[in-house]
Amino acid sequence: MSTSIPDAVSTSGRHYPIDPHPAEHSDLVRVYVWEWPVRLTHWAIVLSIAVLAVTGITIGYPLLVVRGPAGENFLIGTFKIVHSYAAIVFTLSVLSRIAWMFLGNHFATWDKFIPVKSRRRRGLWRTLRFYLFQLRKPPGFIGHNPLAGLTYTLVFGLYLVMITTGFSLYSMSAGVSSPMRVFRFLVPLVGGLQTARFIHHGVMWLLIGFAVHHVYSAVLMSQVEANATMESIFSGYKFVHKDDVIYSGYRYIDPKDIHDQHL
Amino acid sequence: MKKSESRFDVELRRRGVSRREFVAFCGVMASTLALPRSLEAKIAAALQKSEKPVLVWLEFQDCAGNTESFLRATKPTAAEVVLDTLSVDYHETIMAAAGHQAVEALERTVKDRKGEYIVIVEGSIPTGANGAYCTIGGRSALQIAREVCGGAAATIAVGTCAAYGGLPAASPNPTGALGVADAVPGLKNLINLPACPANAENITALVVYYLTFKSFPPLDQYKRPLFAYGKSIHDNCERRAHFDASQYVEAWGDEPHRTGYCLYKMGCKGPVTFQNCPQIRWNEGTNWPIGCGHPCIGCAEPDFWDKMTPFYQHLPNVPGFGRAASIDKVGLLATAGVAAVFATHGVISLIHRSTGPKGGETPPPPVEPVEKVGKGDRP
Repeated sequence: MSTSIPDAVSTSGRHYPIDPHPAEHSDLVRVYVWEWPVRLTHWAIVLSIAVLAVTGITIGYPLLVVRGPAGENFLIGTFKIVHSYAAIVFTLSVLSRIAWMFLGNHFATWDKFIPVKSRRRRGLWRTLRFYLFQLRKPPGFIGHNPLAGLTYTLVFGLYLVMITTGFSLYSMSAGVSSPMRVFRFLVPLVGGLQTARFIHHGVMWLLIGFAVHHVYSAVLMSQVEANATMESIFSGYKFVHKDDVIYSGYRYIDPKDIHDQHL
Repeated sequence: MKKSESRFDVELRRRGVSRREFVAFCGVMASTLALPRSLEAKIAAALQKSEKPVLVWLEFQDCAGNTESFLRATKPTAAEVVLDTLSVDYHETIMAAAGHQAVEALERTVKDRKGEYIVIVEGSIPTGANGAYCTIGGRSALQIAREVCGGAAATIAVGTCAAYGGLPAASPNPTGALGVADAVPGLKNLINLPACPANAENITALVVYYLTFKSFPPLDQYKRPLFAYGKSIHDNCERRAHFDASQYVEAWGDEPHRTGYCLYKMGCKGPVTFQNCPQIRWNEGTNWPIGCGHPCIGCAEPDFWDKMTPFYQHLPNVPGFGRAASIDKVGLLATAGVAAVFATHGVISLIHRSTGPKGGETPPPPVEPVEKVGKGDRP
């Protein structure tokens, strides 16, 4: 089967950086999907959200009671400082990932997040049908499936809402020499500080809900695709059936679609 | 040799305010305005030779609380003399004239002193029912505000009602009440002094600033003077150390409450409210709400009644989820719901895969190679 590997070129003529020495007698092809900036920003976002959620919930509901003189303790003050630094890491990671949507490889670009192409729009519906148990397998996109990509668009929107409300909350109490004071103009735009707080709390729960879904779906896809989806966010590589490389996203295609000029 | 006394000096002496008290007042004003001590003498000199600026005080949908705050002096003070140097040509609550005479006094000022007088607005301006909810002398508040504020050198909106609509504008806002900035857009030199009521010290300091510098102090994006609204209550709070240390009042009258710990968990709105209450306090510096163990209710902020209530909770409730539904309760339940949905999906998915045909384990056969592929048709 290894003789067929050099032909692992997609229908659009795209050459994939595949493993030049695949295992003998294997139909699987190793494809470099997630470049290091994608993996780095992914894990920076994961860790910063975890820190932000824990410190944020603690600042909102301080349950730890500290005894002793106030001047010798700085527990919630420390939490606020950690929250602020984690917010900077988070913001830079999100902005870097957005920049990478225009710099990265085929699997990282912005059109994987917004389904502008008809194939991805079809894949959107087919992926949803997979989730509703109408299809046994998802349509077999190598990178983000269209439904996942669209979900991440919403999630990036939520990230920007969190950044906007967080920066406006911080800006009003930033020190006189702090560059964060330039974000004071955001405060009336988000409806005032109390509204900013309300949104900041609500969107945090939406993101925690997303995290639940994201981990579940990653495990599910890793099982049904059996292509090292889970491992890929560490290593960058997926092991994809060679047919999926050639006809990515074409599983469960309707025969009549094959003759569709707009495929 | 005795220098000739100015009208202001005569007035100070007549009321028994000593030079020492007057200079002390100028020092207080300089510090309230966050000005250097060296400007104290400039303030004193400016006040002594200031001409009488004309002032008009309009009251619309209000409770006269700002008037009470403004006039609250308990003994003759230098502040009182300063305020008396203003020629208050029209103020419904305190003027002697009534009815047509009062209306004439206002009309005369607006006509004769156009572009010179200062107008202070107290109360919100109703715009519903063509302004019929508040009329004075047969004219609506909106008409009066447009005419009087439009011809003024400066408009000072005192109190949360005049600045942002306040209580009358609270949901559902039956009278269509608006603050001055929204009811009469495009006013030049509009200054908001929100709070319920505005602190008399800030009104006085603003007047002193104007008399001293013939201009108005720097404002923030809500047109509030930075000297009074530049920092949050939280950042200047005397109990802030307890917040940072994680020492909070948990219930009214508990040991932390009696000790004077932070009121954050009792719904204090200090972190989102901007005013200089912690410094200048109230009732001539006697005390202020947090100083006597009550959380800040955020009275100086826009949409105060709609967004700062419930007063003893951190955040407003989620509309449509009952009375005690905080955003975090709703959010936690929603997250649990999401987890339940995906757990169910996981179970169904396992059953589905174990009972269905085995075809799913091997990749399905590829479709026939597509001869013609559209542009951009990549995986």
